[in-house]
Amino acid sequence: MPKEENSKVSGDPLELWEQWYETTSKAWSQSVDGSNKAYVDPFAFYRTWAKIVENAQGQMQEQLKAGSFGIMEPKEAWKRWFETTTDIWEKAIGGDLDPLGLTTQWLEMMEDARARILAGANIPADPFTFMKQWYDATNETWATLIGDIIGTERFMESASQFLESYASFYRTFRRANEEFFSNLQLPTRSDIARVAELVIAVEDKVEQIDDAIEDFEDNYTKAVPGNLDERLVHVEKKLDALSASLQELTTADDLEKRLDRVESKLDKLLVALEKIEAKEPQRNSKPATPNSSRAQESKRESSKNQALPAETESVSRRTK
Amino acid sequence: MSQKNTTQADFDSTFKKYRTGMQIILEGAKADTGQTPKEVIWTKNKAKLYHYEPMVEKRFTVPILIIYALINRPYVLDLMPGNSFVEYMVKHGFDVFMLDWGTPGDEDKKLSFEDYVLDYIPRAVKKVLRAAHADETSLLGYCMGGTMTAMYAALFPDKPLKNLVLLTAPIDFTPDDMGMFGLMTNPKYFNPDHVVEAFGNIPGDFIDTGNRMLKPVTNYVGTYITMWDRIMQGKSMDTWLAMNKWVNDGVPFAGEAFRQWIKEFYQQNKLVKGEVILRGRRIDLSNIRCPILSVAGSKDHICSLPQAQAIKRVVSSKEVDFHVVDAGHVGLMTGSGAKKDVWPTILHWLESRSK
Repeated sequence: MPKEENSKVSGDPLELWEQWYETTSKAWSQSVDGSNKAYVDPFAFYRTWAKIVENAQGQMQEQLKAGSFGIMEPKEAWKRWFETTTDIWEKAIGGDLDPLGLTTQWLEMMEDARARILAGANIPADPFTFMKQWYDATNETWATLIGDIIGTERFMESASQFLESYASFYRTFRRANEEFFSNLQLPTRSDIARVAELVIAVEDKVEQIDDAIEDFEDNYTKAVPGNLDERLVHVEKKLDALSASLQELTTADDLEKRLDRVESKLDKLLVALEKIEAKEPQRNSKPATPNSSRAQESKRESSKNQALPAETESVSRRTK
Repeated sequence: MSQKNTTQADFDSTFKKYRTGMQIILEGAKADTGQTPKEVIWTKNKAKLYHYEPMVEKRFTVPILIIYALINRPYVLDLMPGNSFVEYMVKHGFDVFMLDWGTPGDEDKKLSFEDYVLDYIPRAVKKVLRAAHADETSLLGYCMGGTMTAMYAALFPDKPLKNLVLLTAPIDFTPDDMGMFGLMTNPKYFNPDHVVEAFGNIPGDFIDTGNRMLKPVTNYVGTYITMWDRIMQGKSMDTWLAMNKWVNDGVPFAGEAFRQWIKEFYQQNKLVKGEVILRGRRIDLSNIRCPILSVAGSKDHICSLPQAQAIKRVVSSKEVDFHVVDAGHVGLMTGSGAKKDVWPTILHWLESRSK
């Protein structure tokens, strides 16, 4: 039972921090002294360094009080500063706290920079100008130094252990938080992400539909025999023809009226002709032979037929 | 009296300069970037496809689609008016499009190269063709975007792909050619699975730190020395601010894509061996037959020269122009030499192949 409890993720962030601190401290200390001995405080080096700086500061203040510094030339001030800081670093090395040889390299670089800056005629009074000169004088050395450190397998191993431990801590911490908020019945990042995933899935489906419609549009145009544009032009021409016919229909109405008038005139003529014909037999007082009457009828028919085409035409136009 | 006034003015001026510098350091660089007028013509999840508005009459029928890396903002190619590659191409009559991958959230941790190369890029290409009323397009890939573009080109080598422009695009991931990256991503020291399991998506800062550690002195100190120098000398800060904003504006890397990127590309070098398989489709770079222009920087520490140069030997294209510039990974497209060398080179190369 206690085992089970231990295997559970701790919900206390402080406790987690402590665990992580211990793990990383061990990892770093092992990588620094290269052994699996009981871990040392990885910040001991910095603490020692801070103490030495504090002591040096105290010494300088005492010297100032005693007036031994006096009014210094900037060159002299820089020299003193270099000497003091170099001394601090040398003491740090003496404490056997530089397993990677970083401080030794740092000292070499300081010496180099001091020589370069002090060799210059002007000692900058402005902090920025000094910083710039310092950078220009040391950046290549720094870059090489750091490149050499980072490029070693030993450093990569340490960095790897740190990363692994940090990732492990982060994962545990996240899980603990998730569990904590779940117990409080509050939505967590994962819950929100799940909802967002659903939204994205819906969007994806809409996207697929959009894609399918676009494909359809493209493929339909290609699938139709002949060019759709050409076919549209044909349809347009036909519509034009229809519209023209409609206009003609309006003209046909006028024609019809005129033809009606012509027809009525022809009718009148026909009536007049019939009257004349009716008078003619009385004058001749000859009985009409069946043949002659047939000829007259055919005459009438022919006169009627002369009027007929116009009538037929008018009818046909109306149908149109 | 006059001397007193001058001293006071000098003091005020110096104080103002220090205040400006401190403000940038404390608040971060602020700049108006990506100002070339554009329109979003398509979106998918967080990705957006921009269509840049024409500034002159269109001279070329073949549009350009720019595909940038997943881990940085693409506005580095449209930094600011007068220092924008996009603006430069638009002003020369090109129809320019850009795919912005956006910022992945927790819900996107499963996004992989399958999604990016098989879903996003082909759709974006289709949208570009529709918007530009074109049958073909040129693809321009930068950094990881270049690698992804090459993968797309290998899977879809025929129409509509007309030309391929690769800018500092790593193709061969042989560890010996990768310098510090080779060591950093060595499976002995780095297991991407653990990081992905912990973070889901890989934070932008994590990627950024990795990149900066390749040149820590220059990136962590030199940048700010340059800043102070420019401030003290009263030089224009616009470009510095825009670049610094971009450098610190990293995008998280979708977890699954990061895992693939490190394992299959950096640790196993599968791309150049033709072993990358996306949804069952093997990526064979020898399928690429279109004309290629590849630009690389001799000082590039993110994509070394041999990494980019590999494109020449793996594709089947008859025309592969490899152009080397004396610049770094980003300075290649934004530095002072970019306007004089790289941009005109790309322009002239595309001009003759875009009608």
